[in-house]
Amino acid sequence: MSAQLLQAFLIALSTAVVAFPVGYFWAQWAGWMVFCVGLGLQLLFHFRNFARLERWSRSPVVDASLEGEGAWDGVFGRLYRHEKDLRAQIAQRDEEIRMLVAAAQALTDGIVILDLSNQIIFCNTMAEVQLGLKLATDRGQPVVNLVRRPEFVAYLQAGMFDRPLTLRPERGEERVLAIHVIPYAGRRRLLQVKDITQADRLDQTRRDFVANVSHELRTPLTVLAGFLETLQEIDVGPDERHRYLEMMADQSARMRSIVQDLLTLSSIESAPPPENDVVDMANLIDKLRRDAEALSSGRHNIVVESDGRGDLLGAEPELVSAFSNLVANAVRYTPAGGTVRIQWKATPQGAEFAVQDNGIGIDPKHIPRLVERFYRVDRGRSRDSGGTGLGLAIVKHSLNRHQALLEIKSEPGVGSRFAARFPASRVAGI
Amino acid sequence: MNESQHLSSQFDEELGRLRTHVLQMGGLVETQVSAAIDAYSSGEISSVKTIVETDRRINELEKAIDDDCAHVIAKRQPAASDLRLVLGISKIVTDLERAGDEAKKIAKGVRRIYEAGHMPAQYGIGIRHLAEAALAMVRQSLDAFARIDAVQAKAVIRADSDVDTEFKSIIRQLITHMMEDPRTITTSIEIISIARAIERIGDHAKNVAEQVVFVVEGRDIRHDKEAIK
Repeated sequence: MSAQLLQAFLIALSTAVVAFPVGYFWAQWAGWMVFCVGLGLQLLFHFRNFARLERWSRSPVVDASLEGEGAWDGVFGRLYRHEKDLRAQIAQRDEEIRMLVAAAQALTDGIVILDLSNQIIFCNTMAEVQLGLKLATDRGQPVVNLVRRPEFVAYLQAGMFDRPLTLRPERGEERVLAIHVIPYAGRRRLLQVKDITQADRLDQTRRDFVANVSHELRTPLTVLAGFLETLQEIDVGPDERHRYLEMMADQSARMRSIVQDLLTLSSIESAPPPENDVVDMANLIDKLRRDAEALSSGRHNIVVESDGRGDLLGAEPELVSAFSNLVANAVRYTPAGGTVRIQWKATPQGAEFAVQDNGIGIDPKHIPRLVERFYRVDRGRSRDSGGTGLGLAIVKHSLNRHQALLEIKSEPGVGSRFAARFPASRVAGI
Repeated sequence: MNESQHLSSQFDEELGRLRTHVLQMGGLVETQVSAAIDAYSSGEISSVKTIVETDRRINELEKAIDDDCAHVIAKRQPAASDLRLVLGISKIVTDLERAGDEAKKIAKGVRRIYEAGHMPAQYGIGIRHLAEAALAMVRQSLDAFARIDAVQAKAVIRADSDVDTEFKSIIRQLITHMMEDPRTITTSIEIISIARAIERIGDHAKNVAEQVVFVVEGRDIRHDKEAIK
């Protein structure tokens, strides 16, 4: 600073040195004139640099460098470098923020950041999908304006966040979400949204399974115990006695078949992968048709739709039990006079075994749960027709072990089609 | 909304709170409607009692919000968009409250059907579908109100005619049922009144959406078919 002051003073002094002889030897006014012109020139020089700075400051671009003259050069240089550094820093911060946001977007959980009055500051795409938010329009909006479930509103207001909230959002069809609220940084709340639909469903299935096994076994057991008690305490005639014993035999057979099916299921589950024996499909389908005819005893029309080509690779007993299960189901749930079609089609891309009927059909809401153990569409009916409730579970497991998919299509009153799709690797002889 | 800064930000806060209260009430109505429909599908009539009790809370909210509206007008004398917002809100809560009443009606109808030992299962899918469409309208109209989004509001208004068409087809179907088998008449009549209630819920959602358009654009588009195109 002092150097600049000195420089300015020296310039003024040198102007004075030039002006003084002119004023002394020629005329005083001329001396003053020279002095003023000198100072004016210096002022002009400064003003030019000032104008440059002024122009640059309006839009400080770093690519157009800022150059000054004389004393200004140093100042401009520093200013220019400062601006450039600042910009580099901002760019770096921007990049860091972008990476953080990208990380938040990459999370498989939904994330919403709220301020203390629960207004949305940020949310990732997952949260947008889960909660039906749109960050572009909803920033600054209280989150309860958009996620309006009363239990969620109450949870946020209560401020007790040690337990997560389980929420079934209105817009998310059948989803189940677990919401954690994590206060942080003193002025922010992080809403973590986990999709626990699968876990919830699994939990439900497990609970149902235990309840169902107990229920299914208890019913025949109650009947057995009841008759036993009667026989112990009351003297009944031989006819009556015979009838009771027959019913007891029925019930114990029923329990045995349930236990048998459960054992089959668990042995399929724990067994090693099936070997690759060739299963003669033409033969198998013929056997299935005969079994179906025997089961139906002429009440149904059994049709085979197959060109007899192609065989399957796998464990024959498992496939036989799976297929005959499907056929037996079709016969059982089709009223007399209906048609059951056994279809087989093999191509180099894969094969499909299907059983189609025009029976009572299944409401679409039951279809996803149909293969669950003991899942019954109509509690009374299937037990009357002799099912254990495990048939389709066994079918599904057997097919899974052969990498096959079970596809169920059904319409109430129109009929059902159960198809097992095998991949090309399981098809032989085509 | 209210982007123009008010002299007192306290006023902004009051308006914001008012809106949040309306949406809270809307959330309750949404839950009521879906609970009523769930009861219809599942036959769990124990939830009917809860629905009837919750309806009282909705009624109280309506009164409280209306009261707040009157206070805001008296105290702040709002103008332009703020005034429209307050006026719109006082109409929206009326419609929400009525939609809540319809939900209660559905719940009570469900209880009567199941208590009489009937299963409405064979009509289930059509009703459920209708209810989902009406529920989506309620949800979208509330979203439109939260976001002050006239475009979405107009979409809701247009969706109403789909709900009406579906309602009519359910009625035709039920009439066929009744002619085929007179024993279904009692149940069918209950179901018609449920379908009617659902259709009315759709209408109330449409009214809410119309108020949203009024708040945003300052135009009253009720009974004006051209305006929503």
